[in-house]
Amino acid sequence: MNLKMLLRFNWVLFASMLALLACGTVAIWSAGNAREAIFHGMWMNHLFTALIGLVLYFLLALTDYRIVIRLVSPVAYAVSLVLLIAVLAFGSTVYGGRRWLWFFQPSEIAKLCTLVFLAGMWAWANALEIPLKGFCAFSAFALAAAVPAALILLEPDLGTTLAFIPAAIAMLVAGDVGRKGVLIAVATGAIAASVVLGAVYEAEKPGQLPEKREAILRHLPLKPHQVKRVKTFLFPESDPMGAGYNLRQSLIAIASGGFSGRGIGKGETNRLKYLPSSVSMNDFIFCVWAEETGYAGSLLLIALYTALCSAGAWIAWAAADTAARMLAIGLVTLVFAHAYINMAMCIGLVPITGLPLPFISSGRTFLVTMMAALGLLQSISIHKEEST
Amino acid sequence: MQQPDVSSRTGDVTCLVMAAIFLAGFAAVAIKLKDVQLDNVASITSAGEKQMLRRIRTPGERGRILASDGTVLASNRPVRLITLNPEHFQSRTQDMTATNIHNAVESAAIVVGRDSPLSMHDIERHIKRNLARPLIVWRDVTDSELARFAEHEDMLPGFECEETLVREYPEGSLASHVLGYVGRDRVDAGSGERRFNYVEFEMRGRAGLEERYDSFLRGAPGEDAVTVDARGFARKEWTVVPPQNGPDLILSLDVAMQRAAEEQLRGLKGACVALDPRNGAVLAMASSPDYNANLFVPVLTQELWQDMSNDPSKPLLNRAISGSYAPGSTFKPVTALAGMGAGFSPAAGYECTGAYRLGKMSIRCTHLWGHDPPVLDLTMALKESCNPFFCDLGMRAGTNALIMAARKAGLGARTHIDLPGEAQGIVPDDEWKRANWGEKWYPGDLAQMSIGQGMLLVTPLQMARLAGGLGTGKLATPHLKAGEKGETEPLPFPEWQLEAVRKGMKRVVKDGTGRKAGTNLAVEVAGKTGTAEVGRGATRRKNAWFIAYAPAANPTVALAIVIENGETGGATAAPKAREILKARFGELAQSGGKEGA
Repeated sequence: MNLKMLLRFNWVLFASMLALLACGTVAIWSAGNAREAIFHGMWMNHLFTALIGLVLYFLLALTDYRIVIRLVSPVAYAVSLVLLIAVLAFGSTVYGGRRWLWFFQPSEIAKLCTLVFLAGMWAWANALEIPLKGFCAFSAFALAAAVPAALILLEPDLGTTLAFIPAAIAMLVAGDVGRKGVLIAVATGAIAASVVLGAVYEAEKPGQLPEKREAILRHLPLKPHQVKRVKTFLFPESDPMGAGYNLRQSLIAIASGGFSGRGIGKGETNRLKYLPSSVSMNDFIFCVWAEETGYAGSLLLIALYTALCSAGAWIAWAAADTAARMLAIGLVTLVFAHAYINMAMCIGLVPITGLPLPFISSGRTFLVTMMAALGLLQSISIHKEEST
Repeated sequence: MQQPDVSSRTGDVTCLVMAAIFLAGFAAVAIKLKDVQLDNVASITSAGEKQMLRRIRTPGERGRILASDGTVLASNRPVRLITLNPEHFQSRTQDMTATNIHNAVESAAIVVGRDSPLSMHDIERHIKRNLARPLIVWRDVTDSELARFAEHEDMLPGFECEETLVREYPEGSLASHVLGYVGRDRVDAGSGERRFNYVEFEMRGRAGLEERYDSFLRGAPGEDAVTVDARGFARKEWTVVPPQNGPDLILSLDVAMQRAAEEQLRGLKGACVALDPRNGAVLAMASSPDYNANLFVPVLTQELWQDMSNDPSKPLLNRAISGSYAPGSTFKPVTALAGMGAGFSPAAGYECTGAYRLGKMSIRCTHLWGHDPPVLDLTMALKESCNPFFCDLGMRAGTNALIMAARKAGLGARTHIDLPGEAQGIVPDDEWKRANWGEKWYPGDLAQMSIGQGMLLVTPLQMARLAGGLGTGKLATPHLKAGEKGETEPLPFPEWQLEAVRKGMKRVVKDGTGRKAGTNLAVEVAGKTGTAEVGRGATRRKNAWFIAYAPAANPTVALAIVIENGETGGATAAPKAREILKARFGELAQSGGKEGA
């Protein structure tokens, strides 16, 4: 690493990540202490994983991203597809999803590899002077993104897919690949979402006839638990002890934080296990943090994410080439989508969906993946003025 | 070759748009968070508190009941309990928790040396209903059991030794009917702001003063709070409002008189009331047979309750206020007052022939062969309790005058003593007889009533009050709680009439039918005997009465005693009255030269 590289190292990106990791360790310490003894040391696990993540971070940051995009990405993409198929075949089932292979979740790795591979596709097409304007180009990119997304959906893991899709779309927009196709895809997605929301609203609104409800739901491509989640989002008070329980407890925890919070380790909704302990360390860790540090702590977290994402967007803006810019936009959008959807679902802005909070939630594969993504971003920042 | 495409406009705009989306997204989260954490916080957190907070009503220590000299009649006794905290035995499922508790109780039973009284069903019920509260395993733990428990306490985690209070009556059955007894209160959990999730064991007065002064004795309940976790196990308990202990209730009872009265009634059926006629303070109130309320602690069992309720001698009945008896000749002073009110002179003579005849009816005199001398004035008639004299007097006064006099004397109405369950007695009239007997009022009814027989019914308390009224000229409202000012109302008869009656009543004790009531007492007693006949044929029996006030000149005690199935008032009741009065006034010193006034 020479002096120029050191100067181009994005300290905001790095510092905000470290700060988020620190917050996450504290939150996991608190959430773990509310659980059985074996979870009391989970915060150390988080720190240790972050250490591994840091090694990978610097490894990727110091490697020229061009090598990763062009040479590593096809291999990584292929491997991740194999892993996704393997998890469907041999994975272990946890909480109704077949997501685990041995000690890691292939879907998390696949998201990152796919984004890198999309950038790789663009770089190779550019190098081979293949024009990327038509519908065919869009179809190729869409297919590359859709195959892993479909495999993840099959696990099923809707949340991870939902966070991945915006990142892929942002990449295609940034790369100016098949603008019409992107527009159509976005429009289709928006229409589909509105139709689903509208249909569930119509089916579940108070006073709806049961037979009509049945008829509407039969035509929806949603599983019963997904309908419940959408319903809980639309009508939060409809079933406070059932589907709405998590959201209700989440809101109670966050609200009882007030401005300054209950104090670290003193959040009663967490300690008394009203926040289900199966999710308090993962998808609902934000509630633990918000209860114990209050609005002040929540704002700090949001500020850190804003700094991190802004730094990411800056790196994309200043990237040396389009492939790098695409990748940077994709990576930062992936982080943003996770952070935003997770926090927004905790406060009822979006329907509940299983999705971890980057750097805060306990989860080894996800944390390492997220840190690797930031390592890549850092690499784009460091190596922007070098050429191959 | 690679294009120098870094400045592509689409890419620049995308970066800006994405940055804007990031900012907008996080801003939306921050704004919504402000709503949840700051603006709308109260409505959401109150729901949170509701789900994790349980409110417990805690009783204050029940006040004691003391006699006027400080003798403790009712107090509280600590009882040791061994309890267990369910949260210590929690497991993944309720069934497993119940099994854990069951096993722990079984091993504790071996240590303590007493069988476990809890079935699996009890434990499961506790888990369902009172999970956040300790489960009581053993009540009334003995010293040796406690010692074994304390020795092995560290082997029994989750168990605790606690103390609770139960009622105790240190004097046993003394004044049992006055004191009453307590039972377990089914306190309403309340509603709205004052809703409690749990109610701790609390005593409630079920009879007597315990019932009448229940809220006074209880003090004010306090409130404990306990936070529970999502599964309902207790986490932290603290006191929100400490309970206020109930104050002591001090009575006007004179323990010496009370003991004497109970001693005199022992083994008999009957009742006795003594009160201070100047202010109505009750000095003694006894009813026999009585009961020992300690047997009802900590709980009155169903069997005992059945036994006591079905007992034909009615031990739970406070005959002194709830027993309705024909007053017999103790009513004659009222007849005398009615007669004088109708113009009869106390000095006028009446010749008793041994019976009073009215149509086919004949009312005999106790002096079957007439009196000596045969012509009686009022004083002599009272002294000898001449039935024909008073029948004649009552007939002259007339039904209305007699009824009016009885009512003025406080009969036929409650005295409003501070005890529940007071009977009001019956002063019959034409209307009452038609309603209850379906017959009109005959002259014979008047004759019967004139000598305190027939349909007339009174309580011993009413008669004690009347006796005091005759002595002082004032009817006092009786009360048991000391320190009451004492309400009196005038006994509405002219003083000369009362004086004439008093003269007769003094003679009753001096050398008349009630002379056994005054034998060798330190004070002069005025009184009246009564022998009321009740029932007919085989069930015919006599209730022996004596009413009195003393000292005769300036009464400080008024008394009424009735003995069921006695001989006569003079033979049965009067000597007992003497013993009770002795406890208050003492005897004449045998060797001393001091004469009774």
